[in-house]
Amino acid sequence: MAGSSGGASGAVPEYEVPELHTRVFHVGSFGALWKRSLPGAELAVQGAAAEDGAAAVAEELGCGLETAAELRAVCSIDMLKSPDKEEDPEIISEDSSLVTLRIRKKALERREETIIVDRTCRQETFTYEMESHAIGKRPKDPADLIEEGELFLTLNIFYPVIFQKHKDHKPYQTVLVLGSQKLTELRDSISCVSDLQMGGEFSSHPDQAPEHISKDLYKSAFFYFEGIFYNDRRHSECRDLSRTIIEWSESHDRGYGNLQTAKMEDYTFNDLSIKVGFPYLFCHQGDCEHIIIITDIRLVHQDDCLDRTLYPLQIKKHWLWTRKCFVCKMYTARWVTNEDSLAPEDPCFFCDVCFRMLHYDAEGNKLGEFLAYPYVDPGTFN
Amino acid sequence: MSCASGLQADCEALLSSFQETDNVRFEVFSGLWRDRRFHTIFHGQTRPLEKNKFTQKVLDLAWRYFLPPYTFQIRVGALYLLYGLYSTQLCKPKQKIRIALKEWLEVQRFQQDLINAQHYDAAYIFRKLRLDKAFHFTAMPRLLCFRTKKKVRETELKEEFKELSNRVSKLITNDVLEEMMNVHDHYQKMKCLISTDGSQPDKALSLIKDEFVINIKNMILEYQQWQQDKMKSSSKAKDSDEMTDKREGGTSQDSEGSERANALAKIKYKSYNAVAEASKSRRHRQVKLESSESGSDQGKMKTPRCKRSRERSQLTQKRNSLETKDRRQAIKKEAVTRNRRMPVIAEENSSEEDLPCPKRKRTR
Repeated sequence: MAGSSGGASGAVPEYEVPELHTRVFHVGSFGALWKRSLPGAELAVQGAAAEDGAAAVAEELGCGLETAAELRAVCSIDMLKSPDKEEDPEIISEDSSLVTLRIRKKALERREETIIVDRTCRQETFTYEMESHAIGKRPKDPADLIEEGELFLTLNIFYPVIFQKHKDHKPYQTVLVLGSQKLTELRDSISCVSDLQMGGEFSSHPDQAPEHISKDLYKSAFFYFEGIFYNDRRHSECRDLSRTIIEWSESHDRGYGNLQTAKMEDYTFNDLSIKVGFPYLFCHQGDCEHIIIITDIRLVHQDDCLDRTLYPLQIKKHWLWTRKCFVCKMYTARWVTNEDSLAPEDPCFFCDVCFRMLHYDAEGNKLGEFLAYPYVDPGTFN
Repeated sequence: MSCASGLQADCEALLSSFQETDNVRFEVFSGLWRDRRFHTIFHGQTRPLEKNKFTQKVLDLAWRYFLPPYTFQIRVGALYLLYGLYSTQLCKPKQKIRIALKEWLEVQRFQQDLINAQHYDAAYIFRKLRLDKAFHFTAMPRLLCFRTKKKVRETELKEEFKELSNRVSKLITNDVLEEMMNVHDHYQKMKCLISTDGSQPDKALSLIKDEFVINIKNMILEYQQWQQDKMKSSSKAKDSDEMTDKREGGTSQDSEGSERANALAKIKYKSYNAVAEASKSRRHRQVKLESSESGSDQGKMKTPRCKRSRERSQLTQKRNSLETKDRRQAIKKEAVTRNRRMPVIAEENSSEEDLPCPKRKRTR
């Protein structure tokens, strides 16, 4: 492995702060280093199982054919299984000497004593299903198959909510992106309620509300990685959101060095130089700020979801509490009213049906005095 | 004892009995594995998420023994352990072993060593793992999330598995000795040249002992021998210590660093050892004695270990029981609050939509 020493050593991720984050390295060259270190068969994502004949073993290990055949028998996984009895993997046997099992058994017994409903917590089921829903998927169109040697980046994208209850544990979603994908592909996949907000008061014409979603009105956004602002400039109405920050930093020589700008649509993740484990930023809607942490980068594996079209792939999201309609207490709120003569409190939340039933007559005429605003619940994406 | 430390105890017990055999054959390892029925370590888990997490954890733990500074034998043992764990795991698809790029060089060197030393079984197994695509080739050994996750304290792995760090032998290697010999020869010749005799240096120039290189070598060998003997005798002493101290149970050889921890554990054990009988009115709340070391069985725990501790425990019985109760309740409460992680957004109007996680009193 002469190639990895010397010049390319900058692409081998090393800790900068132990257990916290790495030094800066170039994602593309890191991937190239791995690819160079591994034989093609190990990179392959398509299922052709490598030949495991005695001849291949003998050649690779430099031993005789007989030895190779013998190895196969001696090292078989059956050697690790107890031949005596067939056992149920859901049951812990009584006579086990393993400490782990004794601890688990005790925990299970405690659970048995205290549990009310015997089923897996639905939060846990949800987490598991999010994690595994795409595993092993293959594309219908072979052109969408992910190539071997492709990089997977795991990103934690935090919600900008700063509620007291999230003081210790900030909610986030986790997405997988491919090294060859553009930053804009990630940008388009991030779902955030601030994109769906509708500005304005609609009490006199509630049907017009959905036409004014912030996403369509304000398209600017940027990612910030290692001193560079990657601005979304795909649309003519996009503004350079980073300009204010750069001007602020330069105006008083605040010690932030040279902040640069680039176009988001020109860069793929392979082009970036980043630190794994270090917090970066995504900002949209002017001031809706999401912390982004790249927690992991690895080569694609044949057990992964290999359908390129499914990426960026969401594998974890936080289940946010939704605010319910005050009338039916069942559906998620769609409207919020102020100074409402018909409501018991201010502000008051309604689902669409209850809102219209209460505030308008059969012809759609407004009843009573109130201000109505469309409301987008943070739990919309649950 | 948490699940993680139990896992570590199990893996270390297996590896150290493998170490005792002084052998790197897979047959030997698989015998030890079968004796322990080690594949049952995955049994008793019904929830898939739990299964995945546990498997990841145990693979990560085993992987750590596979890298330096552990001795060759432990590393081979760790390779077998990884192979066993990977192949017998119950997850579908199988959880993978993570290799970081910076570890790869070391791994390849190890594989080459195996082949060169003709440890074909180990080399075959490593090859098989690679063919089975048991690895994820990653940037770093673990996922890094800055400070957003609670910090998991890294437990120290067993000291005895590590290669003897020997600064003396690191400093004076064969090469150095050879070089010294050459320099010495050269020096000797120079002295001969300037001497009147020509074949032998002058007495006045004889400032150094002739066999000093050999002397150094002998001293080093002696030192290494002494060090090995010391290691052996100290571990023996520790073994016999523990024979008298049955309570330590599972762990056979504790590292020196954990002596303090053991002392602390003993103190704790004493104070949790006794429970006062509750008064009549509170009989339903009688504190049950439960061991904090889930490893040992309950019956044994109830009999005080020695006379002295019994006396002491009687003296402090009352206070201890109170403490124990308090602590147990505190722990319960903590567990309750921690479990209630239902997401809530009721910040702006918490008045009408009461937080659904009030400090609910535990009813029992």
